[in-house]
Amino acid sequence: MSNVQSCYQCGKCTSICPMRRVSKTSPRSSIYNANVYGLETNDIWTCLTCGRCPIECPQQVDFLNFIKEERQGKTPLHVAHLGVFTEFSELSSKLDGKTPERSDSKYGYFPGCVDSLDLFLHDVKTNFGEITTSSLKLLDKLGIKPQIMNMKCCGHDVLWQGKKDVFEDLKKYNLNYIKESGIDTLVTSCAECYRTFSKDYGLGIKVVHISELLDKLGLNVNDAVTYHDPCRLGRHMGVYEAPRNALTANGVVVKEMEHSKEEALCCGVSNFMNCNEQTKALRIARMDEAEATGAKTLITTCSKCLAHFNCLKTEKDSVKKYDFDVVDLTVYLARKMEQT
Amino acid sequence: MDNNTKTIGAAVVVGGGIAGMQASLDLASSGIKVYLVETKPSIGGVMAQLDKTFPTNDCAMCTMAPRLVEISSHKNIELISLAEVESVKGEAGNFTVTVKKRPRYVDEKKCTGCGSCLAVCPVGKAKAAQDGKERKIKPIPDEYNEGLSTRPAVSIPFPQAIPNKAFIDNRYCLYINGGKCGNCKKACKADAIEFDQKEQIFELNVGAIMVTPGYELFDIGSKPEYGSGKFENVLTALRFERILSASGPYQGKVLRPSDKKIPKKLAFIQCVGSRDHERDYCSAVCCMYATKEALIAKEHLGDQLEIDILYMDIRAYGKGFEEYYQRAQKLGVNYIRCRVPDIEEKPDTKNLVIHYLSENDKKVTREYDMIILSTGLLAPKSAKQISSTLGITLNEYNFCNTGPFTPVNSSREGIFVAGPFTEPKDVPETVIQASGAASKALSLLCGSRGTLIKEKEYPSEKDITGQEARIGVFICHCGKNIGGVANVPEVVKYASTLPSVVHAEDNLYMCSSDAIDKIKQKIEEHHLNRVVVASCTPRTHEPLFKNTIREAGLNEYLFEMANIREHCTWAHMHEPEAATKKAKGLVQMAVAKSKLLEPLYRQFVPINQDCLVIGGGIAGMTAAKEVADKGFLVHLVEKEAQLGGNARKLHYLIDGANPQDYLNDLIKTVNNHENIRVHTASPIESLNGSIGKFKTVINNAGNKQEIEHGAVILATGGIEHKPSEYMYGKNKRVMTQLELEDKLVNDPKFKAPECVVMIQCVESRNDDRPYCSRICCASAVKNALKIKEKYPDAGVYVLYRDMRTFGFLEGYYTKARQKGIVFSIYDKDRKPELIESKNGNLTVRYFDSTMQENIEIDSDYVVLSTPVIPRPENKELASLLKVPLDQNKFFLEAHIKLRPVDFATDGIFLCGLAHYPKSIKDSIAQAGAAAARASTILSKKFIETEGAISVVDEAKCIGCGTCVNVCPYNAPALEEVTVTVEEVTYKTKKSRINPAACKGCGSCAAACPAGAITAQHFSSREIREVIDAFDKGVRGVSIEKSIVEVMV
Repeated sequence: MSNVQSCYQCGKCTSICPMRRVSKTSPRSSIYNANVYGLETNDIWTCLTCGRCPIECPQQVDFLNFIKEERQGKTPLHVAHLGVFTEFSELSSKLDGKTPERSDSKYGYFPGCVDSLDLFLHDVKTNFGEITTSSLKLLDKLGIKPQIMNMKCCGHDVLWQGKKDVFEDLKKYNLNYIKESGIDTLVTSCAECYRTFSKDYGLGIKVVHISELLDKLGLNVNDAVTYHDPCRLGRHMGVYEAPRNALTANGVVVKEMEHSKEEALCCGVSNFMNCNEQTKALRIARMDEAEATGAKTLITTCSKCLAHFNCLKTEKDSVKKYDFDVVDLTVYLARKMEQT
Repeated sequence: MDNNTKTIGAAVVVGGGIAGMQASLDLASSGIKVYLVETKPSIGGVMAQLDKTFPTNDCAMCTMAPRLVEISSHKNIELISLAEVESVKGEAGNFTVTVKKRPRYVDEKKCTGCGSCLAVCPVGKAKAAQDGKERKIKPIPDEYNEGLSTRPAVSIPFPQAIPNKAFIDNRYCLYINGGKCGNCKKACKADAIEFDQKEQIFELNVGAIMVTPGYELFDIGSKPEYGSGKFENVLTALRFERILSASGPYQGKVLRPSDKKIPKKLAFIQCVGSRDHERDYCSAVCCMYATKEALIAKEHLGDQLEIDILYMDIRAYGKGFEEYYQRAQKLGVNYIRCRVPDIEEKPDTKNLVIHYLSENDKKVTREYDMIILSTGLLAPKSAKQISSTLGITLNEYNFCNTGPFTPVNSSREGIFVAGPFTEPKDVPETVIQASGAASKALSLLCGSRGTLIKEKEYPSEKDITGQEARIGVFICHCGKNIGGVANVPEVVKYASTLPSVVHAEDNLYMCSSDAIDKIKQKIEEHHLNRVVVASCTPRTHEPLFKNTIREAGLNEYLFEMANIREHCTWAHMHEPEAATKKAKGLVQMAVAKSKLLEPLYRQFVPINQDCLVIGGGIAGMTAAKEVADKGFLVHLVEKEAQLGGNARKLHYLIDGANPQDYLNDLIKTVNNHENIRVHTASPIESLNGSIGKFKTVINNAGNKQEIEHGAVILATGGIEHKPSEYMYGKNKRVMTQLELEDKLVNDPKFKAPECVVMIQCVESRNDDRPYCSRICCASAVKNALKIKEKYPDAGVYVLYRDMRTFGFLEGYYTKARQKGIVFSIYDKDRKPELIESKNGNLTVRYFDSTMQENIEIDSDYVVLSTPVIPRPENKELASLLKVPLDQNKFFLEAHIKLRPVDFATDGIFLCGLAHYPKSIKDSIAQAGAAAARASTILSKKFIETEGAISVVDEAKCIGCGTCVNVCPYNAPALEEVTVTVEEVTYKTKKSRINPAACKGCGSCAAACPAGAITAQHFSSREIREVIDAFDKGVRGVSIEKSIVEVMV
């Protein structure tokens, strides 16, 4: 349970809430309304679940859990892309699904939803599938030949969109799949999958984000980049150093943005909600910070961050042009590895 | 014509086939009052009898019916059926035309086309209904079915006939010929029968005359070697077309007439009545219509039917034709090169036996169940009478004379011609020529445009706000198309049980004018405020029904259509029960959606009346001149420094005309025209906007100029392909046809040849470039004749695959053979080879299939007939204009048959080689057509937009531009705004959809990540309602599990 009862309405959360800068969203009033009056507010939907406020909360209120639970069974204010990705998850939850092709490997790699992103997000000019191929190349270099986990969607988005029943169906299937595969370590390249398998599944086996393995690649890249902490990897899971190590250990200089790690600004769109002019302002702020570092590449470790930064970057006829690439960590390193 | 004399803003169109219809619509839509005079009881011509059209196998009636309806409901067109022109007085701009209208014996105003009179007419039926006595009356052959069925004396020619009115044939009517009977008069509830109607003669005052009388088919009665029409199982192709048609005598079953059995072996004999000494021309369409009929017959009967097409040359020269021919071969149609001397009928089986000489010199005997004669096209029977009445001259075959650079002008000023009356031709070329002819008339009458026309008026709209939905459902049998499979009465019964449905009924053809009137009547009677029609595709018929409910006072968007033909009965032809269930489900879905429909309104957007023409070749300059002649300002943009294009390289035409004289005159005219601004050396840098308001930036050596215009004509031409085979570029004596032509005229060092070999289809009609370049056969004949003229002793050899000298070009092919030019066939798989010997001699070696041996010819020059290829910059231009290219990278028109110069994007038109390879004459005709089509827009001050367009909720838009990327019509544009969200202010762009360009396709609404766009009439809410109804309906009845699963 989320310990919202301990909230004494100091308002620190709202004062640092990134959404508050661009809207009337208030974490404090969403707790207050729900807890004191039992009212529903739109604020539970405009919250990006970025995890910024609980870090500062003097009472350590588990605000993320509160929002997650508060949303269950309710209809989201707005789901982006006409809800097509949600429909995909729902559909997949009803289908039979595959059984694992077992191998000796104790490692399992889960590619996540890159295929459906490739299917529907043409305009952001990003090859999401390259994250999978890059991850496998890098794992191969490390001597890891994982089983490819041909599972259903991890359920992250539906869970955060208030569809726990769908999430439970997906989870049930995936848990069984993992059990039957016989692996003892599940590797993901997506921050959202990582958070979900780690915190919402109760898996009982090791879950690793691929960035945690990549410092041993032994590359000698001569380049400078900047790194964006996705909320799911950073504030949700506390993984700040692993992706930075993965870069620096391979010879890459990381130029930090004005806000980073716990204070990192947000890409504006998690779980395919909140695509609007408010969150666009956040995206612009983040991309401006990245630009200010002078780096030619912005690295991230979440395919949603990747999609949405690239959406801004590839805007048709945009007011502002950003002259740097936005690339997933694995893609960046695999390309560098192949160049040498 | 003296500029001070006032012209009459009206035209008469003589002949209501596809040419006459096109000319009428172009003129009427540009503000000219049109009198369409048709000699038959209905317009539509031969196309109305066709089952399908090549090369797309589109249903002929389905593409044509909406035009028939458009003509009948067009306020500026007055249709005068059963009429002929008696005499013409006056001069261009002011003619007095005397018209004689024969009696219909039916009051056109009263007749509803219900058909009750047809049912009671005793004529042609073996027994008379009343007295039971046998009457000796010969059955009347039904002209629409080419005599394969019979009709009564009172008839409606075909279900979609326009006007859809009964007609009494006075040659057969018992009452008119003896005062007995009168059954029809008694049966007619509308009191429309008028036996005492008399011939009417009246005068029309018009400024121009369009002559489009069509053609006649060769009469096989004069072919004794093919049975003179007496063998039951030997049919003309048009008869066979009727057999193939679902509305034909056998309901679309392929049966042979003698015993109604399914044929197993069938042959087409080509060139019956053409390409002989009496008619030294090619009928231009028979190769393709035989291929089409073969394909449809195969579609009906599959592999159990064997088809041979017995031909001399397959003339697949038009856009998409060669690919169509290739497809037919792949599907098992056999093409056998021969000329069949005669047909014998076996008396017992009525089978047919032929003997022919095969290509490899062997005599072959074959027996068939059925033989189709591909009869040629003749000038119309009325040609001579038309010629004397109108004072226009004919050629030796009684086709109308036109000049090499004046494809639509008759010999009399102010009288324009189009269609097969000028030369045998197919539908798209007929449509092009008809628009081209309309263009000439529009230029002539530009001073009086709009003086004699009326605006269409509708009753004021009923306010339905706050009303509960009252839905009327109208279900069509489409003859047998729907009713022959699904149980329509059952669907009607089901529809009437659905919520909010207050009325449901069926009709044989919902699009017939009586059914249309009935819909209007029911709207009044039942106070309907939503209308659902379940019939065929909305693509062709939605406009008609929308117009209908508008005429009944309902907003046109309170209409919904269920396609129970293409989506149901055609797909489930052999599952009548399942089809009935699915039809119910589809109706249920339409009804569910219709409840949510709201009135939508069209906007009136002002337009810029200037025109941009891109490309300064013959096509572009002609288009510019034709538009400018109509009083509109034209910007002619050419990226080269000089006007003229490909025509600069042409020195003589096949008929001897000099294109340089014409070209120079045209350049002078264009440069001096008061309405034309010529911009040479000015490539286009950007082109934005949409119909009525385009903005184009051209760049003249860094000097940029912005041009605003309302329409675009694209005439960027093509280029002659430079081959890589046959030592081209390595040996100076190997050249292309254009290079030869230049040398023959300009090269003083060109030495008199002893022998010239021409090779046709070089790097064309192959896997890389599958299309036929159309003009190369004629170019080869032209240049071969020129060589013979200059050097009579030279030997000239043309190695070809099929000689494609269609239409009157055939005469030049004959002449070339008579001059001693040798034409020899080679096979695609055994291409001629070119060998250079050590002493530099060129030898062409090829396999002569007639002699069955290898032939070697020592040649001074080897001339390669290479195709016209699309310009490499087409791709860039296509993305600039947002218009599509075809698979060969030429520009792709909106509809290959009926909209050959339009693009799918409104306001942009196409002509010349950019569309497909073609001759100068064809380019001129097409340029005129593009000008006429552009004029239908430029002559208006406003464009009426589509009402069901997509709209942007600006507050939700994040300005990503996805809508701009996905829109096929260039409708959304991004405009800069400043957004303030709480503490943050930033600049971004937001999408705005131009209502004039949006067609409401909904692509943007589906792609918008922020959900900011709504496709009106197809909102998410409406679609959800439809899907829910699908759940209850189609899925509820669960036709086939596999289908449902896929659809989920």
